[in-house]
Amino acid sequence: MNHTDTALTEPILAIDALKKYYGKSASQTKALDGITFQVMPGEFLGIMGSSGSGKSTLLNCIASVIAPSSGSIAIGGQKLQTLKGAALAAYRGKKIGYLFQNFELLDNLTARENILLPLSLHGVREREGDKRLSQLAAYLEIHEVLDKFPAQMSGGQKQRVAAARALILSPDVILADEPTGALDSRNAKLLMEKLAGLNRDAGATILMVTHDTNAASYCRRILFIQDGVIFHELRRDYPDESGQQFYGRILKVMAQLGGGSANVL
Amino acid sequence: MFSKLVSRNSRRSRKENGLFFGSLLISIIAFYIILSLPNQDVMFFLTTMESQAVDKLLSLIPALFGAALFILFFLIYYASKFQLERRRHEFGVYLMMGMRRGRLFAMLLAEDLAGSAGALLIGLPAAFLLSELISLVTARLVGLGIIGHTMSFSPQAAGLTAAGFLLIKFAAFLILSSAISRQEIGALLVERPDGTKKQLPAPVYALAMLAGIFCLAAAYRMAISGRAWENIGVMGLTLLLGMLGTFSLFYGLRFPVSLVAAHGRSDRRLHAFNVRQIQETVVRRSGTLAVCSLLMLSALCCFGAGVAIARFYGSSQPHVLDYTFPGDERASGIAGIRETLHEHGLDASFSDLFEMKIGHIQTDRDYETVFQMEPVMTALQALPSSENRDVLLNNLSYATCPYLISLESYNALLRAAGEPLLSLQEDEAAVYMDSEWTNDSKSGMLNEILQTRPRTVLDGHDCYLTGTVQTINPVTDRSITLSFALIVPDDVFERRTGDRGSVYLDGVLSGTEDTSLMSAIAEMNKKLNATGLTYESYLQNIGRHLFYMVAASYITIYLAIIFLIIANTIIGVQFLMSQQKSNSRYRTLIRLGADSRTLRGSAKRQINWYFGIPSALAAFSSLFGVRALFSGLLPSSAAENRSEMMMISAAMIFVMCVIEYLYILAVKRSSDRYLLSLMVPRREE
Ligand SMILES: Nc1ncnc2c1ncn2[C@@H]1O[C@H](COP(=O)(O)OP(=O)(O)O)[C@@H](O)[C@H]1O
Ligand SMILES: [Mg+2]
Repeated sequence: MNHTDTALTEPILAIDALKKYYGKSASQTKALDGITFQVMPGEFLGIMGSSGSGKSTLLNCIASVIAPSSGSIAIGGQKLQTLKGAALAAYRGKKIGYLFQNFELLDNLTARENILLPLSLHGVREREGDKRLSQLAAYLEIHEVLDKFPAQMSGGQKQRVAAARALILSPDVILADEPTGALDSRNAKLLMEKLAGLNRDAGATILMVTHDTNAASYCRRILFIQDGVIFHELRRDYPDESGQQFYGRILKVMAQLGGGSANVL
Repeated sequence: MFSKLVSRNSRRSRKENGLFFGSLLISIIAFYIILSLPNQDVMFFLTTMESQAVDKLLSLIPALFGAALFILFFLIYYASKFQLERRRHEFGVYLMMGMRRGRLFAMLLAEDLAGSAGALLIGLPAAFLLSELISLVTARLVGLGIIGHTMSFSPQAAGLTAAGFLLIKFAAFLILSSAISRQEIGALLVERPDGTKKQLPAPVYALAMLAGIFCLAAAYRMAISGRAWENIGVMGLTLLLGMLGTFSLFYGLRFPVSLVAAHGRSDRRLHAFNVRQIQETVVRRSGTLAVCSLLMLSALCCFGAGVAIARFYGSSQPHVLDYTFPGDERASGIAGIRETLHEHGLDASFSDLFEMKIGHIQTDRDYETVFQMEPVMTALQALPSSENRDVLLNNLSYATCPYLISLESYNALLRAAGEPLLSLQEDEAAVYMDSEWTNDSKSGMLNEILQTRPRTVLDGHDCYLTGTVQTINPVTDRSITLSFALIVPDDVFERRTGDRGSVYLDGVLSGTEDTSLMSAIAEMNKKLNATGLTYESYLQNIGRHLFYMVAASYITIYLAIIFLIIANTIIGVQFLMSQQKSNSRYRTLIRLGADSRTLRGSAKRQINWYFGIPSALAAFSSLFGVRALFSGLLPSSAAENRSEMMMISAAMIFVMCVIEYLYILAVKRSSDRYLLSLMVPRREE
């Protein structure tokens, strides 16, 4: 019984004293200056902060696109630094799914081919993905664009196709960097509803960077970072607190952020 | 600041883009090699023998130079385009920062000049070394091995090379930079793949492909049936059909590729991505690929034909005699020559000196009927019909008044050649035919007939032909070419020719193995000139041969290499260019977890297809092209060697495939390096 308990409370993602400095001593930018937090399985965590506060750097470190200066990142108990070559590539593809602000769909591939790309990258037979593909397509409402090229889709459709691609291999964590940044409010709302639904119904773990308060209000917990450090944390009192109420609380913190005084709330 | 930027940029482009710099070097070398042709050892040597023909060839140099300028322009153009395309973003940034377009232009021009100067600095010495090497190798190849090699740097060739190179470089630069400077800044800043062009309905492509196949098939048929050589119109039509077919086929390739893209499913890594990339790069640039395929085809044809022709003209008769001194009618003439040689101490230089008696039949008969060989002709007629038989029948029908050769002197020649001697009865004769008039199959037919000891009539007397057909030339002088002669015993010779015989003194130089034959003869010529004797040397005769060989092989192989290099460079550059344009796709793949092996594998597959499609079509077409060239260019006497020639050209095609493979390897390396640079987690400044 003990065993299952610890397994349940084990964080799926653990960031410890993460630092990322750019440049040499004189003109150094401390993009991340010692960040520590954990993500539990099934969590929908938001990270907010003003522009240049280090949000993308954080996400890129987790995605292993850039190497941190110090500190550690552990996913499912495995330290990221220890991964090399093929293991690192497998980590990128299977343990995490990435959702980009600008979709990053390959423009010469159809939606279906884009979604199935991770399968062929990781040597999974395409047939095995077919069922999941049609489930995802139905849920994300992209059935009718599956055989279209990105140029023939709307921004919302593109982002939902990108979401399907991020989800096709059922990753442990989905990283999303400003996923609504390039969408209009209607499509942004639709996407957030879908992501929240995936989190609620399928237990998907999502770590989302955003400065869009509306999008953030779908999260269960929000970390605010400024100048490379965490300066505040908000938890939504789910399900008692409504999205609207949570939205209001986020706005207040955002106002503090502008004022620059931390931990007022 | 400005000049610093210029020098840094041009240094960077040299380092970063080996392919670009390589193509500059290739152009320089190609120019210098044509222009330094008059300085080649073989040419020096040939001018002393065959000055007229050589002059004619050398007068072709400006035309060849012009053609090379034209062709190499495309090489430079594509390479420079690649070079500039990859810097679009940079240019956009300069313009955004407020750099005037004129200034950008000036900067690019300065960079271009610096780059060209660098290329010339390295290229000219390299070109000089290479042309020296070619000089040595051709001397060896044409069987001289031989001529005392002299280094010969030609400042004039170097100057013209530099001028030609700068000219095409500048022309390419003007076209490209004006295209760049006309673009909007925004268009420069975004790096994007060529994007999806509008598609025509699939049946259009299918039809184009069918039409292409049809045109090509028609061209192939005309080529191998020999109809292409009927007249210039048919030839033009054949070429036109071939070119049209190639373009149309490449255009229509969209059809099968999009079929594969739409329906073919495979669990191969990145299959869909590969097919789409191939669809974009291979198919969207069908025109360029068709041009490259045609260039490769030209290269293969030139190469195959060049080597085959060189071999055909090169494999002339065996070389026995080095000198022939024509005597006069009085036998004392020969004694006089011997005496003169002895006086000058030259007879010791000859390992062999013997008389060669050749004469015309002296008769009071009508010359049309001096010699009759009905049995031979009927026997020939009875043989199965063939081109060789008919040619032989025709030639022999004119042999009504053959030359006679004395048996004793011909045996002396055979002895010098290390061949078995002839022995003839009083009423027998052996047949001599010049190697230019016969070949293995013709001699074979005659030999078969000679075995029956056919009875002929020579000046009213019975004469039985025997032995086998002799082909060793009795004199070095090519001007006495005996298409058909009879070798007869000496007393018969004396009786029949009377005072109409000529005597020659044949000489074989001694010790030519350790020095080169060419220099030995050249030296002996000098000494003989001092004696006032008239003489003919072996070299004068092979001079003409050598000339054809050198001219044909040099020019065709030169063109072949240029064509091949250009085609491959264009393909390689195009591939790398499109790869760079799709760099955001590769970045996305990396983010999705593609490891470097997968990416490189995908690029490799694309490269294979990209090179493979045009070269496969070129190789296939060349099978027909080379055959057509053989049937059109080679004299009919080479006809029965055609299968051997095909073997040679097949071997050449194989060699070209190896070159192709090396190119593919180089492009793969370059692509690998690029992909690895994408793999490295973002640069940390
Ligand atoms: N490659 C880089 N080199 C130098 N500085 C960088 C680099 N990437 C980001 N930075 C700096 O790090 C800080 C955080 O950037 P980023 O994580 O992109 O912020 P954001 O929260 O807006 O996503 C910024 O000050 C930015 O200028
Ligand atoms: Mg950011």
